[in-house]
Amino acid sequence: MDAANPIPIDQTFAPPGPDWRPVSPKLTLARRMTLALVMVPLLIALVVFVVLAADLRLLGWLLLAVWVVVWVWLWWLIGRRVRSFGYAERTDDLLVTSGIMFRRLTIVPYGRMQLVDIQAGPIDRMLGVASVALHTAAATTDAQIPGLPPAEAAGLRDRLAALGEQRSAGL
Amino acid sequence: MSLPEPGPATPAETLPGTATPPNLRRRTHPITPVINGVEVISAVALGLIAVGIGSIRSLAESQGLLLAVLWLGLGFLVVLAVLIGAYYLAWQRTEFFFDDAGDLRVDSGVLTRNERRVALSRLQSVDVERPLLGRIFGVAKLRIEVAGGGDSRVAVGYLSEAHATALRAEVIARAAGVHPGAGEAPENIVAIVPAKDLLISQILRSETVILLLLTVMIVLGTVLTEGTAGLVLVLVTGGLPLVNVFNEFIRSFNFTVAESPDGLRLRFGLLKTEAQTVPPGRVQAVEFEEPLLWRRRGWVRVRLNVAGQNGAEGETDNERVLLPVAPYEQARQIVLHTLPGLDPQAVELLAAPPGARWRAWFQWRHLGVGWNESIFVTRRGWLTRYTAVVPHARTQSVRVTQGPWQRRLGLASMHLDSTPGAVQIVALHRMAPEARQLAEEQLQRAARARREGPAQRWAQQRQTEPN
Repeated sequence: MDAANPIPIDQTFAPPGPDWRPVSPKLTLARRMTLALVMVPLLIALVVFVVLAADLRLLGWLLLAVWVVVWVWLWWLIGRRVRSFGYAERTDDLLVTSGIMFRRLTIVPYGRMQLVDIQAGPIDRMLGVASVALHTAAATTDAQIPGLPPAEAAGLRDRLAALGEQRSAGL
Repeated sequence: MSLPEPGPATPAETLPGTATPPNLRRRTHPITPVINGVEVISAVALGLIAVGIGSIRSLAESQGLLLAVLWLGLGFLVVLAVLIGAYYLAWQRTEFFFDDAGDLRVDSGVLTRNERRVALSRLQSVDVERPLLGRIFGVAKLRIEVAGGGDSRVAVGYLSEAHATALRAEVIARAAGVHPGAGEAPENIVAIVPAKDLLISQILRSETVILLLLTVMIVLGTVLTEGTAGLVLVLVTGGLPLVNVFNEFIRSFNFTVAESPDGLRLRFGLLKTEAQTVPPGRVQAVEFEEPLLWRRRGWVRVRLNVAGQNGAEGETDNERVLLPVAPYEQARQIVLHTLPGLDPQAVELLAAPPGARWRAWFQWRHLGVGWNESIFVTRRGWLTRYTAVVPHARTQSVRVTQGPWQRRLGLASMHLDSTPGAVQIVALHRMAPEARQLAEEQLQRAARARREGPAQRWAQQRQTEPN
């Protein structure tokens, strides 16, 4: 990677090594379950609306159709988005990539990490995934790796914390 | 951590310039509850009036105007008395002292005890705030900010002028590793913004023009629909642009930039004066902002990212201003003088690739990114142009982003993450591989720059440096 041999255009979001380390496919399930938790009550509300509001029935059916489309689209999107997450640990920094339409690659040097924490909501805990979040002094650093099995998450956090401490370099 | 022993808290008996012995607990000035109460009530007074205007009107109709005003006044006094009573309780339970490790500790809280420790080794800035009421009584409030997440801001207020100055000097001296009795460091004034320039610059801000246009529209609309009766209401809304200009002018009046061994000192304000100190080496990024309406006069506004937190109250979140308005060359000289090395002219900028034309139709001509051994510079913006300058060592992290439209054109943007603040450093719409390369190389430059190490106890460092 230098002036004579620039990175080819499709390699912009490429991993530094052979591959991005993927996140667990259980994240897809977790996110879909959260989606269901939101959509099902909405469906119930819409059905009630269709049943009760006789004169607005056409609108009701229209809304139901929209609901179906939104459900299908989000269901599919979740799968794609989860597959787009990846991370890679290098000697001096951590790379995190995500996004399909809006792609994003964040590189955080270990010495800049101020805080590494693990978060897991109730559905995540049930399915056995956790999310590792890195914080630097910048609010815009957006390095969050969701969908890691708890053991992997804990291991990553410990490695990052140790490296961060070792390389810590003021502000 | 044990609760403090009950004992009389004494006012500071030390003269300015003497170090306070450790663990000497002090209280803030007794006028504090009164000032806090009045500040709160004046903030909510307008709101309360607006809400209760219906009941006020009915009261006026039933009891007569004079009695209504008297009742209103009485109501306010009662609320004020309650507020002052509550603040008095809080004041009684607030103490501050320097502990054995040299850190500042502030204990407060009536029901829930709150013990805060401010690690002075990570001091970012010490600001002095003097609201109008405070100036009348001769007291001031200190705002101390340190680096780090969460609990990194503490306010010690109000203290008498002499004690506030002494405490500020002591906090800074302790943070610098100098003997705490050293007193206030001398200063050297670098620039004062003339009032005329300030006023004209505020009038020429795009917000003012937009508000003015809106006002004209509202006036026309009201006159056409409701006739001149509606004009009274419009006068209130029409005052908005003027109020805005007035507010900004009052806030930045007599803006003075001075340098001292403590760092940059910024003083401003007409009714409520503030004095901010930015210790050297704490500036994370600088930005020169050139609004459209200022370009003919060649004026710029200089903003900073300072690690540790927001600016003082009243400033939009996280905005620290170095110069509210100044001619470009003068601004550049001042920045060079006070923040050596941060010179946007020192770097030649690479223009955006031709493909960027289709993504940012107007901005692309003004986009640029460049670097030298010490700084990284980006330029963006069309109507308002922004030139951001960051020392390499202040790079927190980097990002490469690409939206769908950029992907079509083979473009991507490279962001340099800095501490929270108004300055955003982004190289927009570069060729995608170039963006990735910029990101990787910037991290290497940042690592190289950090090996020199930042200044913590900067006064000690300065003394050991060869002249």
